[in-house]
Amino acid sequence: MKPVVEFHEVSKWYGNVIGINKLSVRVPAGVTGLLGPNGAGKSTLLQLATGQLYPSQGRVRVLGRDVWNNPSLNRHIGLCPEQDAFYEWMTGRDFVYVCARLSGLARPAARAAAARALDAVGMTAHQDRVVRGYSKGMRQRTKLAQALVHDPDVLFLDEPFTGTDPVARRELMDIIRRLGAEGKSVLVSSHVLHEVQALTPNIILLNRGRLVAEGHVRQIRDLIDKHPHHIVLVCDEYRRLAARVLAWEDVEGVRVLARDKGLVVETHAPDAFYGRLPELALEDGLAIKEVYSDDDNLDAVFKYLVNR
Amino acid sequence: MPIFDQGYQHWSGELTGHGLRWLAITRHGVRIGMKNRLLRIALLIAWLPAAVLTFSLCVWGLLEQKSDLVQPLVPFLTGMLGPDVVNNPKAYRVEVWTLCYDYFLLTELRFSMIVVLLVGPGLISRDLRFNALPLYFSRPLRRIDYFVGKLGVVVVFLGSVLVVPSVIAYVLGLLFSLDWTIIRDTFPLLLACVGYGAVMSVSAGLLILALSSLSRNSRYVGLFWLAVWFVSSIVGTVLTGVNEEHRMRQTYRRAVEAERAAQAERPPKSPEDRQRQAASRQEAQRRMWADLQREQREAARSDWRPLFSYTANLSRVGRHWLGADASWEKLAETVPADERDRYLLENMGAQYPWYWSAAVLAVLFGLSICILNFRVRSLDRLK
Amino acid sequence: MLFHLEDVTKTYGPVTALDNLSVSVPTGAVGLLGPNGSGKTTLIRTLLGLIPVDKGSGAVLGLDIHTRQLDIRRLVGFAPEDECLFPGVAGVEFAAYAGELVGMRTKDAMQRAHEVLDYVGLGEARYRRVETYSTGMKQRLKLASAVVHDPKLLILDEPTNGMDPAGREEVLELARDLAHNKGMSLIFSSHLLPDVEAVCDHVVVLGAGRLLAEGMIRDLKQLHDGCFEVRLKANPAAFARRLASLGCTADVRDDLLLVRVPVGQSQQMLWQAAAAQREQIRFLRPQRSTLEEIFLKAVERP
Repeated sequence: MKPVVEFHEVSKWYGNVIGINKLSVRVPAGVTGLLGPNGAGKSTLLQLATGQLYPSQGRVRVLGRDVWNNPSLNRHIGLCPEQDAFYEWMTGRDFVYVCARLSGLARPAARAAAARALDAVGMTAHQDRVVRGYSKGMRQRTKLAQALVHDPDVLFLDEPFTGTDPVARRELMDIIRRLGAEGKSVLVSSHVLHEVQALTPNIILLNRGRLVAEGHVRQIRDLIDKHPHHIVLVCDEYRRLAARVLAWEDVEGVRVLARDKGLVVETHAPDAFYGRLPELALEDGLAIKEVYSDDDNLDAVFKYLVNR
Repeated sequence: MPIFDQGYQHWSGELTGHGLRWLAITRHGVRIGMKNRLLRIALLIAWLPAAVLTFSLCVWGLLEQKSDLVQPLVPFLTGMLGPDVVNNPKAYRVEVWTLCYDYFLLTELRFSMIVVLLVGPGLISRDLRFNALPLYFSRPLRRIDYFVGKLGVVVVFLGSVLVVPSVIAYVLGLLFSLDWTIIRDTFPLLLACVGYGAVMSVSAGLLILALSSLSRNSRYVGLFWLAVWFVSSIVGTVLTGVNEEHRMRQTYRRAVEAERAAQAERPPKSPEDRQRQAASRQEAQRRMWADLQREQREAARSDWRPLFSYTANLSRVGRHWLGADASWEKLAETVPADERDRYLLENMGAQYPWYWSAAVLAVLFGLSICILNFRVRSLDRLK
Repeated sequence: MLFHLEDVTKTYGPVTALDNLSVSVPTGAVGLLGPNGSGKTTLIRTLLGLIPVDKGSGAVLGLDIHTRQLDIRRLVGFAPEDECLFPGVAGVEFAAYAGELVGMRTKDAMQRAHEVLDYVGLGEARYRRVETYSTGMKQRLKLASAVVHDPKLLILDEPTNGMDPAGREEVLELARDLAHNKGMSLIFSSHLLPDVEAVCDHVVVLGAGRLLAEGMIRDLKQLHDGCFEVRLKANPAAFARRLASLGCTADVRDDLLLVRVPVGQSQQMLWQAAAAQREQIRFLRPQRSTLEEIFLKAVERP
């Protein structure tokens, strides 16, 4: 897959303080999550990718072209920044219109594009109100509108869901998913892991300015050897189930959840384990009512990789 | 149980009543204020006039005792006050103490304005900027506690600049004169001083609090305060000065015209005539000069122009309470009669009734309270 | 009874923030949910006695909101949403000041400040100035200042705003501990539903100043009998077809399979199908509505 955003051994430091350390990553088309604890370098990465910062070392390319000092490339890039900086006296419609004009659209095209963008984010009803009177959720939506207004190929979203209520959040997530399905490249940076998980399984994980992991969550999880998978099984005859499961070689430990009538099984080979489960469940009296793993998700991956 | 719970512990202590709640805010504000180095330096410098005051009172006390230590200073004092006063220190004790305190308070007024500039602007504007009001009002704190607490910070600092030095100087002056009758004579002076300090602190404190609540940026508030101090001062002085100039010019013009008319009637015929006319002209000029002084003094009694200046209002009230005017008049008696008016005009300040100033201060007091009430509205709004 | 309100109305000019709101909530951990502009902030301010209401009555912890406001605030700790720490003081001074403002004596306040700072996990950092703190530390300091006077009710307004996952875990852990183990009641107002679910037992949903839904989370999340959520290792489409041929209804949603088995059957049907097709079932749970579904359903109701 042709990478849309490409970082080649990029480093950036501010005086003595390191922001990004020899980062090489390729962001494909579709929605990708950018994760990392505070100070990991997510904002620096976004600023480098949009051409606001010049790398101390290495090369940054977007859509195959160098992004520094390349204003014509901005026509294809949309940025929804984390900070809240609007022209407070403008109405929402004026603001998005101005952003459209700044991106190079002619007057009538800009007006139409602004109306479309505001409609897509659900702000048509409030577009004639002054930005000063907007709530936090409305501001986030307007920010997203100005990022979408010139129909860019690449979108960078920095914490797009802060302050939005669940209703608005669901609508915005639908928009982002649709953009990803249309073939655009969307990089979403967020702290809220379950939101990123709902959007996409592809992630880029940074820590201390370095790349820790990149790719599909499940693949990453499978590769983390050090932490055995924890799989929960709920069954009426849980103790007998425990005895049967302990006989398997790849099982490292079993913990009993007496209150929930369940077991937490630790295994290093989850694939093999899941493969044997259906036969076990059909055995006499061992009806497994529930199977789930708290582990197989972004929270666990994040915790294991970051809190070494 | 040998192992103790390290988690959250409950607390069941006593809470103090409402009466002293403001004290916590004052203490906190004073602690933060003292961290400011400029303020510490300003407080130190503000004690210099106090040192001068103490020195003067001690000198006067020694003079009364006819001590040898002050003999070198006698010529200097004689030049300043006149021989009658220096040779009879006990009779003029009250007046001299009054005037020393008067000068001291006048100087300290300027320093107080600077101290308020350093302490005051951040008091409420910082809480507005860093959104700390929910923190205050989500606790059992009434608005009045908050305001009194913040006002207390200004009162503490101004008190340490105005009241504490006055009291210490008084005690030291007392010790140096070794004469207990001083207390009977000058005790009202001390009370007036403390009272003036209180009025000044509360007035300036409320004003700076009101200004502080108007803006989130304490630099702007500092500028407002400087404007209140300087601009109002300048306006008052300019208006008064222009008025006086105007009057003086009118008097001159009248005198010159009268002289010319007199000369026109009797033109000089001989050298003796001319000499006589020159002498009479000089006499007329001297009379005119004395008239002018008297007229200025009369007019000053109802001149409202100095009311524009905030500091002038404060010092007018202070002077009245101290009784500085009466002291000047008594000292003026030692000066030859024809120079008396000029002496008084030079040394006494504005002469308009003191209750005009008090009224202006009361209006500012009310205005400050209205502004504070309006600006710190305890979170009853939509956002 | 934690708090109850009867017919409370509050208007700001043309805008009605609370519209004849009547709600009654037991002690424990309560989540406060609602879209933007639903009146959550106004409700919290009403409970704290910070604003007068136009109409209606209520009580918090048995104290009337009209007459006993100061007493209410003595028993309530509030950690506001926005930044509220003024610079220039060390963390422990800030927490002690917060205690003194409630009326604690200086010594008591200092001792207690250290105790709560231990609890929230601010170690040596407490001696540093507040402006040098990271977001996570600031939130913890806010929490510490809110509990320094040992309130019976703690109100947290968006406490995990802007925090990274590790920090969020810690704050939620503290909130859970206080609410469930230390006997403090909690009102948790947030937009992040998983956070609310992790901490609270009870939930109140507001919308346009009115009460939309209220109850124990456990009760609101109904169990759908015979319905299961299934995730497989491979693509679920083939498995769905097989299940359909066996008489189940199978719905594919992204990588999730929603299956309803015929009446009288159980999840064993699914295991049989998996064994036959050599499929790996990686996730099997009875279907329960999530808090998000409850919320969206409550909000969409006209």
